[in-house]
Amino acid sequence: MSQVVDDIQNDEMMATLELAGQACTAYERPDLGKRMERALESVTTTDARVVVVGEFKQGKSTLINSLLNVNVCPVDDDIATAVPTAIRFGERFHAEAVVLPRGEEAPEPVSWSLTAAQIPMMVTEGNDAYPEVEVKGVEVSMPKALLKSGLMLVDTPGVGGLGSAHATATLGALSIADAVVFVTDASQELTNAELEFLEQARQLCPNVVSVLTKIDFYPAWRRVLELDQSHLQRRGIDTEIIPVSAVLRRFAAKHNDRTVNEESGFPRLLSFLRDDIVGNAAERARLRAASELLDVSSTLHSHFETKLEALTDPEAAEAMLQDLRDAKERAELLRSGLSKWQIRLNDGMTDIMGNVDFDFRGRMRRVVAEADETLSEGDPADTWAEFEPWLVNKVSQEVIANYRYLTELASELASDVGDLFADAGTGAVSPFLDVSSPEMLLDQVEMRDDIDLEKKSLGSRGFTMMRGGQSGVIMFSMVGSMAGLTVIAPVLIGVGLIFGRKGLKDEAERQRSMRQSQAKNAMRKYCDDVSFQVNKDSRDTLKRVQRTMRDQFGERAEEARKTSSASLIEAERAAKLGAAERQAEAKNAKAELARVAALRAKAQELAGLPSV
Amino acid sequence: MSEESAFEGQLGASETPLSEIGDTKDDHALLVDRTRRLVEETRRRFPAYDEELQAVLARFDEPLRVAIAGKVKAGKSTLLNALVGERIAPTDTGECTKIVTWYQDSHTYGVRAHMREGGDVPTLPFRREERSVTIDLGGRSPDDISRLEVDWPSSSLRELTLIDTPGIDSVNAEVGARSIEFLDATERSTPADAVLYLMKHMHASDFHLLEAFHDDEVSQPNPINALAVLSRADEIGVGRLDSMASARRIAQRYETDPRLRRLVTAVVPVAGLLGETARTLTQNEYTLLSELATVPHKDLEPHLLSADRFLEASPETPGTSLDREQLLGRFGVFGIRIALVLIRRGVVNSSRELADELLKRSGVIELRETLSKLFVERSGVLKARSALLAIEKICTTEGESADDLMVQVEQITAGAHPFRELATLAALRSGTISGRPADLQLLERTVGAKGTGPAQRLGLDDDADVSAQRTAVFTQIEGARRLAESPFTEHDLAKACTVATRSLEGVLNSTPDDPS
Repeated sequence: MSQVVDDIQNDEMMATLELAGQACTAYERPDLGKRMERALESVTTTDARVVVVGEFKQGKSTLINSLLNVNVCPVDDDIATAVPTAIRFGERFHAEAVVLPRGEEAPEPVSWSLTAAQIPMMVTEGNDAYPEVEVKGVEVSMPKALLKSGLMLVDTPGVGGLGSAHATATLGALSIADAVVFVTDASQELTNAELEFLEQARQLCPNVVSVLTKIDFYPAWRRVLELDQSHLQRRGIDTEIIPVSAVLRRFAAKHNDRTVNEESGFPRLLSFLRDDIVGNAAERARLRAASELLDVSSTLHSHFETKLEALTDPEAAEAMLQDLRDAKERAELLRSGLSKWQIRLNDGMTDIMGNVDFDFRGRMRRVVAEADETLSEGDPADTWAEFEPWLVNKVSQEVIANYRYLTELASELASDVGDLFADAGTGAVSPFLDVSSPEMLLDQVEMRDDIDLEKKSLGSRGFTMMRGGQSGVIMFSMVGSMAGLTVIAPVLIGVGLIFGRKGLKDEAERQRSMRQSQAKNAMRKYCDDVSFQVNKDSRDTLKRVQRTMRDQFGERAEEARKTSSASLIEAERAAKLGAAERQAEAKNAKAELARVAALRAKAQELAGLPSV
Repeated sequence: MSEESAFEGQLGASETPLSEIGDTKDDHALLVDRTRRLVEETRRRFPAYDEELQAVLARFDEPLRVAIAGKVKAGKSTLLNALVGERIAPTDTGECTKIVTWYQDSHTYGVRAHMREGGDVPTLPFRREERSVTIDLGGRSPDDISRLEVDWPSSSLRELTLIDTPGIDSVNAEVGARSIEFLDATERSTPADAVLYLMKHMHASDFHLLEAFHDDEVSQPNPINALAVLSRADEIGVGRLDSMASARRIAQRYETDPRLRRLVTAVVPVAGLLGETARTLTQNEYTLLSELATVPHKDLEPHLLSADRFLEASPETPGTSLDREQLLGRFGVFGIRIALVLIRRGVVNSSRELADELLKRSGVIELRETLSKLFVERSGVLKARSALLAIEKICTTEGESADDLMVQVEQITAGAHPFRELATLAALRSGTISGRPADLQLLERTVGAKGTGPAQRLGLDDDADVSAQRTAVFTQIEGARRLAESPFTEHDLAKACTVATRSLEGVLNSTPDDPS
């Protein structure tokens, strides 16, 4: 979709949302007004998270620096990036690190403000500047035009480096990505390991673009590009590869040279990020706002419809009053803790907690059993270095699988609760007083829209809610939190059996089994730590989802109560009016209804629905 | 406990009269001799293995076999060419080497193929082209060939037979498997005596592969026969002029990484492409570079910005596009930059001088020296190790009837001083011996971590005079003894000191008497 069309649609949406907000104020419905404000905010501040991944030393940090034309991510020949760094828009430069104090049983993350000079100390490998904490991530805000549209770039530690925990941090970052930029350099064709990582990444976020870096340095980059394309094709991975050169980009920026900038390949990458990624995210936000708008304007519309009916048809008023009383009762019941949706929500959450916990325990039991067997087969003195990354990777895969299970269950529950809520609100007599579930309309919109709203297999609604809880500093919940955990290598005693091994065969055997049990202990300790952390995190996540759902549905129930009680008051008042007054009021109400109807029509148009 | 003390007694080397201790060369000769005799005995006892054991014996008279291993595109063939000084191994942008290929010195040129199913092909037609030697497999599938042997008269191959291996982690799993099969130490005969492991950066998978090579019985994970090469070092700084210095720093850091230390003796940075080109530089290439060097820096710089730009036709750049394309392929962006600086500043004035300077900067000379100090000078020990490994495997297959031979293998492995040095070195590098870092470093050097010559063991310059050597030996023997006897010294460290003392006594014996 072109930028111009986008902008026009955006302007229209914002104008309509503002108008609806004013209407809410005029009709004394600040609760509905607040919803319009929030919708307006979500349209103006789109959040598109682009996570840059790849093997280490491929030029990820350089790529981000070149995209922004600023040195924000530290680049070094040797030392690699060790923690994820998120860069987003801010009016002024601001950086902070999320750190976990070491040595605490269940440490709570703390934010530290950073100066620009402190960033490298926080994000690069092997830095002991702050030994008392574990750095989990860094977030930088800066006034860059590219970021203003809501783009957030996340630099990640390369996979495959010797620090085995990095892969986990990267997977953690991927779990929140709207798009993934996979970086590989032109020094050689894609390796098996890279292709495998790419496949894994695609499972977490299918929106992937590949970037071939350092094309200025490798004369044969076109050959490499061809080879890479054929490797991707063979694996059935459908992603574009954009060749880029940071050197040319830097030169172009310095000399303000358009031709060289084109040559650098960056404009293509930028337009991908801007149009495809941010554009899509903006489109999604717009559709959400449209559904909110439709919901609010429908509520207002039905209010005036009732009012007008009461004014124009006094005979029917008596029956209507009864309906309205029923509706009010239903709305009140909806708010109470006894309503079906609340019970379902509470029970459902308890069930999910149990199921997710059970699922994770089963997964970990299998990992431990497999790890146990592996350690029993060899001598940890030889196998530990290989074993450790295997364990960390295996565990993180299980955590991700468990996380996806959790999201699936949570979205199912969200939709169940939504249905119950809607059912309870729907009265047979006055359909116009329907209370809509907060996500119901969005569903309709999503179903018939061809934009890939369901691009996450994670069930977007539940996921949206969970993501909604993360604001400010990025918290790579779940997967991210285990990035802080490391396997504490066992002190492998007595490998020093070097003088005359065979003569001391029994001793060798004994020491070997001691090493095995040490290694097993270290492995179990790690798995226990991860289980503890994941358990806590999934509970927190579910509680957050529960709270979000309760609040949102509760708000909606309150709105319904207000709407029905306001309509009831109007209807009662109308019944007492004289014929002349009634006529005058009816005229007014008709005019208001026309206005609200126009608003609703506009909302339908913006939501892409056929007007009723 | 009694077993332990008997074991101590057996090894009480430092109590041997000094007059009976040989120097390093004697030790090595003695070891080779003992091993040869054991191979002969095994041959007599188990005629079934005659052919295999004959090959083992023949290996003692052949050059040391060094395998060049690493992941795909680590620059193995390029480095091989740089070491030989000729472009024999084919190199390409895509994955290239698909068959394990031996390059060995000979009187005549020739190529043989060993087939997987037996039945060797004694001569394969080949063509020598500008870029490499092209071998015609005659329609045979690479899958069916277990290895190619290329006979190539070359002084560079006189001391070392080089073995090029397909890249591991190849997208084509079959190809990678061939290398693993070749290098896997669990195979009966270890075809290579030593391994040069090439890597671009220290990737976790490099680390795993290195570990896999070391999983053998005679000497446990042993860093002594492996050397890591930070190949493609010129690419580390993406062509910046200080790339090699940067690579050297990285190599030093890797060398101190405890995980890597137990796997390799040293980490050497090499710009393989630069080395290959330096050793095969042509006059035409030099001429074109000289012409380029006459173009003012500021006019040339925009063309050196990227490879594509360098190839574009322009009035500033001499030569045809094709010339420049070839030049770029041979030198790389880094090579061209550095060559231009050298010519412009008048550091070099001829193709000969340029070749020498580039070779020096490529790190290939340093690598050769390291190879020579660590492998060639110790070749007897490494070959003996390979031979013992072969016998041990036979013993394992034969079971009880070979138990006495196994005991002999054991005696040599545990008793021969060069092996005790290797074992001590392995233990020191794997971090299982604890002590003050300075002491450990000294011990490591003494038992031959930097080479087996007196100067390397003592930590002196190669040209240190006799009296300096004698002084150093006495001080160090004294130091090692004191450390060994200290009540605070742990058992393992004390044992390492004993071995080091014995090594120093060997050095002393090889040192001429002080003239003063």
